[in-house]
Amino acid sequence: MSRVRALSAYLAVAAALLLLWEAAPSAGWVDPRLLPPASAVLATLWEMMMTAVFWRHVGQTLAETATAFAIAVPLGVVVGILVAESKFASATFKPLIFFVFSIPKSIFLPVFILVLGIAFWQKVAFGVFSTIFIVIMTTFAAVESVREDQLRVARSFDASARQKMLYVYIPAMTPILLEAVRLAMIFNFTGILLAEMYASRAGIGNVIGVWGQGFQLPELLAMVIFVSVLAILFNETVRYVEAKCEHWRN
Amino acid sequence: MARTPHAPSSAREHLASPVFPAQPATGGSPEGRPEADTAIAIRDLDHVYDSNGQATVALKEIGFDVPAGRFVSIVGPSGCGKSSLLMMLAGLLQPSRGEILVAGAPIPRPDPARVGVVFQDASLFPWLSAQRNVEFPLFLRGVDKKSRRERAREALALVGLEAFAESLPHELSGGMKQRVSIARGLVQDPPILLMDEPFAALDEQTRMVMGDELLRIWDRTRKTIVFVTHGLSEAIYLSDKVIVLSGRPGRILDIVSVDLPRPRNLQMMGQARFAEMRESIWNMIRS
Repeated sequence: MSRVRALSAYLAVAAALLLLWEAAPSAGWVDPRLLPPASAVLATLWEMMMTAVFWRHVGQTLAETATAFAIAVPLGVVVGILVAESKFASATFKPLIFFVFSIPKSIFLPVFILVLGIAFWQKVAFGVFSTIFIVIMTTFAAVESVREDQLRVARSFDASARQKMLYVYIPAMTPILLEAVRLAMIFNFTGILLAEMYASRAGIGNVIGVWGQGFQLPELLAMVIFVSVLAILFNETVRYVEAKCEHWRN
Repeated sequence: MARTPHAPSSAREHLASPVFPAQPATGGSPEGRPEADTAIAIRDLDHVYDSNGQATVALKEIGFDVPAGRFVSIVGPSGCGKSSLLMMLAGLLQPSRGEILVAGAPIPRPDPARVGVVFQDASLFPWLSAQRNVEFPLFLRGVDKKSRRERAREALALVGLEAFAESLPHELSGGMKQRVSIARGLVQDPPILLMDEPFAALDEQTRMVMGDELLRIWDRTRKTIVFVTHGLSEAIYLSDKVIVLSGRPGRILDIVSVDLPRPRNLQMMGQARFAEMRESIWNMIRS
């Protein structure tokens, strides 16, 4: 199927769903208190975006997310490389990391609150905690993807350890590390929103929780749309960069 | 040796350059040229490696010379240590015992200006174009951009891939990738080229074409080539001498002189002399 046709089909389906969302509550097929029509939700979103309060909450969440991301990703990559490259550390820590990864992080949230409170840094810490394991594990895969024969070629040209790291490891690992970035953001954002929904004085998760309890569906759904757009934008940006690498990665 | 000018007029001169000065073409064997120094000298070489706590003798009492400018093959059954031997010549591995002199000096670590290496897997970096892949050894050495580009272009021209300089490895066929790998091994103009089963992963037709290509390149540049292969016919066809190793522990069974005239052509493979040599080597290996 050509790209134009695929795109048209995709847009057609999206438009159809949007129309359905508009029609169903208006026609009474769905209770409009539970699912306000698309037009109402979008109008609410537009109004909210005009207020300072909206941006205060959004800003809070984005600040927490960005901070947690900036800590978890570099730290996770460095730890991942160090562990993967050491036979001893690999044997000792890899199983532990895999085990901890399989534990749902959300159950630790009350502990984080008890220890760190409910302010900015607690959420950042929880975001880091939610994210770092997937980054470390993806980094393991990235290190493994560096081919032994390419390293041998570098050795045959008498490359130093630094040259091997910069000119073989990093380019070879980049596609998978980009994947790590994408996954990290998903886990990170989810963790922070969860922490905000559970106990927070501000932030997107917080207002979603308040609106949910108050049955303010238009506001709640408007924020859901907003968050979805943010997430999709980030995801697609990273995927675009990944696609640049994709052509040489088999 | 006359250095041809940079603006070539003939096909042969086209391949000549300051980096790869054209050698006078020889129709016959290299006997006519004054013999230069010994490119490779190996004495009393043994190699033992540790495998799960057990010592395995890989190579035993290896010793031979390779005069400069010759094409020598090493053949032997799997596991006979021929690849390890090549790694030692490349400075990638140190023998347990014995002496190796490459271009008159020991080789404790890789020295790409002295010894170029081509592996079975072309191992090109998939994120770099052919041009950049060939530039890579020069880049590691800190050669400036302009010189790098020029020398890499010339190396690619030598292997006939100048038109594909900007192609990425995944856009190239197996044979083309291997040619880029050869260009990369030659870009620093080392006097010696080591090749570890470079055509083993290619289909038979490509292998034959590449063999002739290699002979053409060798004829132009007159490097010393040490060529490890499983293919007896390939070894005889390409070489001046064939070193035959036994199964593990690898020792030299014989060094066969290939007295076929040069330039070689594929019809020689059908001749009786060729078949005799092949059979005798095969019998040596088999027993």
